[in-house]
Amino acid sequence: MDAFAFGTRTTPEDSFKYAMGETVEYMGKPVKRIVPLDFLAVTDHAEYLGVVRDTINPNGPFVNTEWYKMMTSTDPKVSGEAFKKLIGSTVVNKPLPEFTDPKLTRSAWDEYAAVADKYYKPGRFTSFVGFEWTSAPQNQNLHRCVIFAEKGPAMPFSSFDSQDPEKLWEYLELQRKQGLDVIAVPHNANVSNGLMFDTKDLSGRPLTRDYAERRMANEPLAEIIQGKGQSDTSPALSPNDEFASFEMFTYLIGTNIKAKSATGSYLRQAYGVGQELQPKLGVNPFKYGIEAGTDFHSGVSSTEPSNYVGSHGNQDSDPRTVVMATESVSGEPPTAIGSGGLTGVWAEENTREAIFAAFKRKETFGTSGVRIKVRMFGGWKYPKDLVKGADWVKTAYADGVPMGGDLSAPGGKSGPTFLLHAIKDPQSGNLDRIQIIKVTTKNGKSREKVFDAVWSGDRKPDPKTGKVPAVGNTVDVKSATYTNNIGAAELIGEWTDLEFDPSAYATYYGRVLEIPTPRWSTYWAAKLNLPPNPAVPPFEQQRAWTSPVWYTPAKP
Amino acid sequence: MIGSSIEIAPDQQERLLDSRPKNFFNAAVKRWLREPLLHFLLLGAVLFAIYGYLHRGRGGVESSRQIALTLDDLRTMEAYFESQWHRQPTPQEFQAMVEDKIREEVLYREGLAMGLDKDDTIVKRRMAQKMQFLAEDVASAHEPSTAELKAWFDKNSQKFALPSRYSFRHLYFSPDKRGKNAQEDAGQTLAKIAGQAEDSKLAAALADPFMFQDYYGDRTPEAIAKEFGPQFAVALEKLKPGSWQGPVESGYGWHLAFIDTVIPGRVPAFEEIEPDVKTAWLGEQKAQAWQKSYGEMRAKYVVLLPAPPDKQAANAPAPPPKKQVPAPSGEGPL
Repeated sequence: MDAFAFGTRTTPEDSFKYAMGETVEYMGKPVKRIVPLDFLAVTDHAEYLGVVRDTINPNGPFVNTEWYKMMTSTDPKVSGEAFKKLIGSTVVNKPLPEFTDPKLTRSAWDEYAAVADKYYKPGRFTSFVGFEWTSAPQNQNLHRCVIFAEKGPAMPFSSFDSQDPEKLWEYLELQRKQGLDVIAVPHNANVSNGLMFDTKDLSGRPLTRDYAERRMANEPLAEIIQGKGQSDTSPALSPNDEFASFEMFTYLIGTNIKAKSATGSYLRQAYGVGQELQPKLGVNPFKYGIEAGTDFHSGVSSTEPSNYVGSHGNQDSDPRTVVMATESVSGEPPTAIGSGGLTGVWAEENTREAIFAAFKRKETFGTSGVRIKVRMFGGWKYPKDLVKGADWVKTAYADGVPMGGDLSAPGGKSGPTFLLHAIKDPQSGNLDRIQIIKVTTKNGKSREKVFDAVWSGDRKPDPKTGKVPAVGNTVDVKSATYTNNIGAAELIGEWTDLEFDPSAYATYYGRVLEIPTPRWSTYWAAKLNLPPNPAVPPFEQQRAWTSPVWYTPAKP
Repeated sequence: MIGSSIEIAPDQQERLLDSRPKNFFNAAVKRWLREPLLHFLLLGAVLFAIYGYLHRGRGGVESSRQIALTLDDLRTMEAYFESQWHRQPTPQEFQAMVEDKIREEVLYREGLAMGLDKDDTIVKRRMAQKMQFLAEDVASAHEPSTAELKAWFDKNSQKFALPSRYSFRHLYFSPDKRGKNAQEDAGQTLAKIAGQAEDSKLAAALADPFMFQDYYGDRTPEAIAKEFGPQFAVALEKLKPGSWQGPVESGYGWHLAFIDTVIPGRVPAFEEIEPDVKTAWLGEQKAQAWQKSYGEMRAKYVVLLPAPPDKQAANAPAPPPKKQVPAPSGEGPL
């Protein structure tokens, strides 16, 4: 386990404050988001229990004990002795029995939840209680972020309890029985070495219907991007997708070992594999909606590329070293970590109830850290040019399904129509295009295809490939600037699947691309007047992915 | 050989039994007979006896080779399991937990013996963190009185100022539809609608549909920045209320705005926000505690740095840093 390195100077309080737009101190510098976030779940590793701090808490469980008296004594000798004794016990990693009482662990978690509750301002800012289950057998990442709907659990579940996701689900099911709704979100699948979307369970047995049902009941969403790379796809799996190579991170966590293959580690492929398994199991085990996060170990969600502050404490806080380094002890250079991701939801209001409900119905999208807003609907009978009128969203819901939903049986021979709407991040680049990524499965074989659906300007698709030409590039690398005189502020349109096959399974999801803008590492380099780090691209097209809409044939 | 290296500290056992009144004893025994912990202990005792017999005459085991788990340790492990699963562990599960604990301890000790903790960045960093937590917390454990908080608030009240709130309508001029002319079109429209009411139909007809709302009520600059981008929020605050103003640029294009109401910002009374004041006060205490205790620790050390290549000055001790040293934070990429 990576327990040795837990804990940062920034507290969960700081994380919430930073997300809400307040200035907090990180690595000795004041940091502040340009634009605050609307909601946040702080998911600390469950394997860390902040019990020691309780000894000096005047409202804490030690208040009537010798410990408290000694630790808070005004006589420096007495407090010094207590200090020594405590340090001594932690040095040899032999916790004093009074510190390993589960009651204390519980109290630490109660306090943790209390912090989340304190920053919950319904309508303005929503905080969630959560933790991270940090299982990574042989450094193969199976981490899950666990997020509670309302109240926090009596106790978190750590990978010390079990490394098997099925055991985690058992814990989640137990919580739900006790009235605490909760979901787990697989994250960093890209560094799972094929384990995250494996066709076998952790014990090596083939998946069963029960497994698939439980997986989907416990995990409606999967993370598509975070600091340590995206889990949409890899150029090795999607050779015909010219935008696939984006924020790739292929080292196994904390090691300098590269994952041996991409298979089983990326969502797009998993959508196909899930459809292949569906007729055998009766249930698709990988019918995931989209979520995104940071996984930053800084306590601050600095996802704005022009305002990125580093994400791993003293590993990447010295700008000069970071800009120059092309490697590090743990394989990848610090610049390989991206500034992504954020989760977006379509919810009626900014409350725990509304946002959590959106998580569960998968009406969500993920971004690479920018605040693009995107939505997609699918249906069979949308009137032509619906999106050009006002109030189109009402009809979109009434006559079809939002992203995260399942298409009903087709009414006729023609394929489904998708309504697409994306709005740029007012602080970032204009939009280049919205694409539909379609993964179909027929006779147990899956394939993917990317379609350009809506784009900016008057570009014409190439008559041979059907692909819309590149949007252009305005980035000046040296000064880390760009201009929004290409692309669009808003993209809205519809796309009909002309290659629809009613007997094939299909997963459709949207991808929005911005025009190229400088990567965070280029902003840092420009500030220091240095060339950008050659290990990473100087600019890239930030993006967003919608949760899919699925089609299941009646008779495959 | 589970159990062969486990000892139950005898005083713990006695205390446990003595603390129970006699009339509960039978019930307790019955309950204990069903306890996996008891099964485990019995098994352990048997194995321990066998071990003792096999290794008789070799003298006592070195204490550094003893891993003594107390009854409390075992009960803690059991209680932890129960709090997770809401049932008792099976004897197998219990055994596995104990063996895990032993393995960790064995590897830890063997690692220490091999000196694996030396020159390990992660171990060093972790120890430094523990020191930091303790240093901060020990020094900041004092509970403030209301009077103390009030005095502090009076000095720092600007930190708690509430922002102004604005209600406004706006017209959007889209660069997607108008290209480079968006700003100019907005300017020309302003000339046409000067003096018009906020809800003027004419005004609305001259602009483009906006992707979100046309009217925003009672918004803080922060909320406006979230929707339109920070530079728009800053510009809007400077506009004169009561008439159409602009053009103002947002992250989406150009706008004309009519602010109908401004509720000025204010500093709330102490009583309204006492909990927030306490949080902020605690934060400051912590930072100060850290500065103080690190300063003291740092002062105990003499640091030798190599002389800069261009100067011949020999190993002069580096003075303690003049600038405040921030608390360390962070960890390796994990």
